[in-house]
Amino acid sequence: MLQHAKGRPLPLWLKSGRVQTGLVIIFILAVCAIFAPYLAPNDPNEQNLLSILTPPIWADGGDAMFPLGTDSLGRCVLSRLIFGARVALTVAFSASIGAMIIGAFFAHVAGYFGGWVDWLIGRVVEIWLSFPPVILSLILMVGLGTGLRNVVLAIVLVDWTRFCRVLRSEVIVLRRRDYVSAAQLVGFSHWRTITREILPGTLPLLITLMSLEMGVAIIVEAILSFVGMSVGSETAAWGQMIADARQNIYDAPFNLIAPIFAIFFAVFGFNILGDGLRRTLDTRLTQTERT
Amino acid sequence: MRMFATIAKLLVKRVITAIPILLIVSALLFCILRILPVDPAAMSLPPNATVEEVEAMRKEMGLDRPVGEQYGIWLGKLMEGDIGRSIHFRQDVTSLIGSTLPATIELAVIAMMVATVFGLAGGLFLFYVRGTRAEAVMDFFSILLLSLPEFLWSLFLLLIFGVFFEVLPFTGRLSPGFERPVITGFLLLDSLITGNLPTFFNALEHMILPCLALGIALSPSLMRVLRSSLLDAYQDDYIQQARLRGLSEKRILIRHGLKNAILPTLSLMGVQFGFLFGGTLLVEIIYSYPGMGNLMVDAIRNADLPIIQGAGLTYCVAVLVISIVVDSLYLILNPKLRVR
Repeated sequence: MLQHAKGRPLPLWLKSGRVQTGLVIIFILAVCAIFAPYLAPNDPNEQNLLSILTPPIWADGGDAMFPLGTDSLGRCVLSRLIFGARVALTVAFSASIGAMIIGAFFAHVAGYFGGWVDWLIGRVVEIWLSFPPVILSLILMVGLGTGLRNVVLAIVLVDWTRFCRVLRSEVIVLRRRDYVSAAQLVGFSHWRTITREILPGTLPLLITLMSLEMGVAIIVEAILSFVGMSVGSETAAWGQMIADARQNIYDAPFNLIAPIFAIFFAVFGFNILGDGLRRTLDTRLTQTERT
Repeated sequence: MRMFATIAKLLVKRVITAIPILLIVSALLFCILRILPVDPAAMSLPPNATVEEVEAMRKEMGLDRPVGEQYGIWLGKLMEGDIGRSIHFRQDVTSLIGSTLPATIELAVIAMMVATVFGLAGGLFLFYVRGTRAEAVMDFFSILLLSLPEFLWSLFLLLIFGVFFEVLPFTGRLSPGFERPVITGFLLLDSLITGNLPTFFNALEHMILPCLALGIALSPSLMRVLRSSLLDAYQDDYIQQARLRGLSEKRILIRHGLKNAILPTLSLMGVQFGFLFGGTLLVEIIYSYPGMGNLMVDAIRNADLPIIQGAGLTYCVAVLVISIVVDSLYLILNPKLRVR
């Protein structure tokens, strides 16, 4: 596998083939997103009404101008796919960081202090979970209005419970450890005990959850833009491409395959990274399970 | 007898705790939708209405009162079974939901069956091949499957079976020209009651793709939990003891292993089926299936607040009901919880 530049062995988690696969996929997506204007053959919003729904280049009637064909407004599918990575990755990173911060904060507070704080946070999570996530995010988008920032906000407001639920039980386990009692005896403040003693223990789980959440965020954004409740129509997003292709499914089936594959590719990247991290970072797994 | 008493106790307890949850959920729904920049009064009038007419309408709809009071009025009407009138469809929301909910329930229930069958079969298979090379392949495969949500599965199945092979229908609930009996609103049930087999099979055909999409998308997580629960169960002494007693492996798996491993799987199913019910929304849109999901999205596009509130609340009730049912099942299957 990969070797470190100085000849030092790589950290365990980077040696995992799954982590490497995930990182490569995310790197490819990130390159597409960052260098979109240089990589895309056309302007993603430019309409060519004379050549609508052209097939991809390898099919009969394909046009070299539009390697993956055009949509119902004659916009270049490949360019929209590349620009769509921007929305997907922006949402994936910012929404998962936001959800992680809120979820982790409440999880640590609930698990560490217990008692009525834990009860209250537990009830709030329960109320949140009585909403199917798709429905809650749609309703939030109705209230917030469309736009990239609101999509991120809606996903954060829906998905913080994912972190809170899982992390809370982890915090409860860690809180009973001797070194935590020792820190409390030495006179560490609550804040210091949580950040110095408990957080390092929950960090592996936190990172794993975050990686999985990025995949979830990409799906939710695609769903929202599919029903037209995400970014405005002037920004290319994978979900919008699917909605457009669904309307013309007989004339241009390939237009549907391209964004489906893009979403799958991205989500798979984050999932396999998360799975690899879980296997290598989780201290409770035995050595045999890891390999 | 004792089991019934415990289950009844649990049901009562769960229903009582569900009430405050629903109250808070409805208040949240009300608040979120009240901060909207749209004016329901102006929307329900023709565009050439005067400012005075809009004001009068606002008074009539109670929009001039404080939000707390508005919520009180709305809640009071809700108790009487009246959740308002759709601005767009000009129909009672209750009757709109009443006519679409059965379709969604039908879809969700069959999809849950599909998910259960696939999840159990897949989990048993994963367990069966444990420690072999096939396991590593299957394990990788299941991550691949986990990366395909019901949203993508529906499109994928639609493309393959609907467009390329043209073997299955993929729009609506019934092909044109079929008689549609209405008794309970559950099409499969109604057509069976009236003995209308052509309609029954046609409706069933329309449900194959959406139910497969929902079921397949849910099954990998069930498979993985069942596999790991079975692995846990097989660590216990009673399995070894059963082997010493000379029981066949098949009997050990079904009578001892599965009986214990099914519980963690079941508690995951409760959460997952709640998600599945939300997932029907997208599947309905993709397959133009006339259920509550399509109603909800139409309402969102038209900013039809009464429907959004009503349908949102109905989804919550559905999730709570599913979790209560699964919890009762858990209790029936778990003897440890029965004895106090």
